[in-house]
Amino acid sequence: MTTLAAGSDSFCVFGTTATLLVSDPGSLDDARAILDAELSAVDRACSRFRPDSELSALNESGGAVVGVSELFARLLEAALRAARLTDGDVDPTCGQALAEIGYDRDFALLKAAAPRPSLAGRLPRPVPGWRCVHLDSERRLVQLTNGAQLDLGATAKAWAADRCADLIAAKAGSGVLVSIGGDMAVAGQPPADGWRVRVTDDHAAGPEAPGQTVAIRSGGLATSSTTVRAWAVGGRRMHHIVNPATGRPAVSCWRTASVAAGSCLDANTASTAAIIRGEAALPWLQQGGLPARLVRADGTVETAAGWPSDPGPA
Amino acid sequence: MRRDDVRFAAAARDDGLRKISKYTWRAGAAGVVCSALIALAFGHHTAAQASTGGSQRSTSGSSQSTSGGSQSTSGSGGGIVVPAQPPAPAQGGGQVTSGAT
Repeated sequence: MTTLAAGSDSFCVFGTTATLLVSDPGSLDDARAILDAELSAVDRACSRFRPDSELSALNESGGAVVGVSELFARLLEAALRAARLTDGDVDPTCGQALAEIGYDRDFALLKAAAPRPSLAGRLPRPVPGWRCVHLDSERRLVQLTNGAQLDLGATAKAWAADRCADLIAAKAGSGVLVSIGGDMAVAGQPPADGWRVRVTDDHAAGPEAPGQTVAIRSGGLATSSTTVRAWAVGGRRMHHIVNPATGRPAVSCWRTASVAAGSCLDANTASTAAIIRGEAALPWLQQGGLPARLVRADGTVETAAGWPSDPGPA
Repeated sequence: MRRDDVRFAAAARDDGLRKISKYTWRAGAAGVVCSALIALAFGHHTAAQASTGGSQRSTSGSSQSTSGGSQSTSGSGGGIVVPAQPPAPAQGGGQVTSGAT
């Protein structure tokens, strides 16, 4: 028997799509209100494209010590944790590198804009690195050194999904799945056969898009890919997953990496790192016990650590 | 040497010893104060780092709670938390799509 979510909602946020599924239809309005409030707060704290965000103020601070909100401190802690756990492969100091490769505005505006001129003259170089971010969590003080510019996009959405799912399950008392841009967290009592997720390249694709359907009951599931958030600069294809070692879009054998973990944040951390690590990702995920589905450029699928077998090519 | 000279020399010696003793104590006290200040400074720094680490662990902790018994991939260091159970195979389309944004 297949149990469908009793309530669902979908809306635009952070330049992408959020989807909310709840097992109790009566809790949908409350759940949506919680989601709206939390996502709005996260956007105010760490949007790279809002001049009034805390992140923008910090990036403009010129190395000064800046006081931040508790929310921003927690978001930054999450980003620094991801960097530590991946030996810097998922690095929050990619802000300047992203701007240099043309991602200096909301992605909808970037897609609509005329193609950028060549990047000639801007040689690839490593990003400043997460160790240039000094966070005093107790006093909520942050200092960026060595010209570091933050971008928390890789982890903030996932952290927000975890937080919202936990809050909705606790306050609304419903089983819930929160997906933000295809990275999802679940909490509370799941449907009898779990939450059914279509794993594919593009989160905006329909439920029958090429890929694989799996069911999750807890934790999180995230997908990173070089195929969707991409644009051209000087005739060269760019995408948003920056390799901190070069400050340029990662060149990977994987076009898409999907990972399940104990939280959406951890799933996102691992899927992003998998794209950057390339071939080394497979044994890393296997050794870490992280179920994963990796898709090569030609569509060949590799799985790790108990991910269900894939019936066919992606 | 006259008796007055002897007394004067002894008094001068005692006065010198008192001064040396006084300055030694002052230097020692200053050293203790400086050491305490340095310890406070570095102690705060360490506390801040520990705080960050603690919060990170608590993040993992909440993840573990969410996933109902998930385990960390790297023990006490607070590694990436594995799911309580891997995704299960399912048929048909999904209720939601996981893909890149």
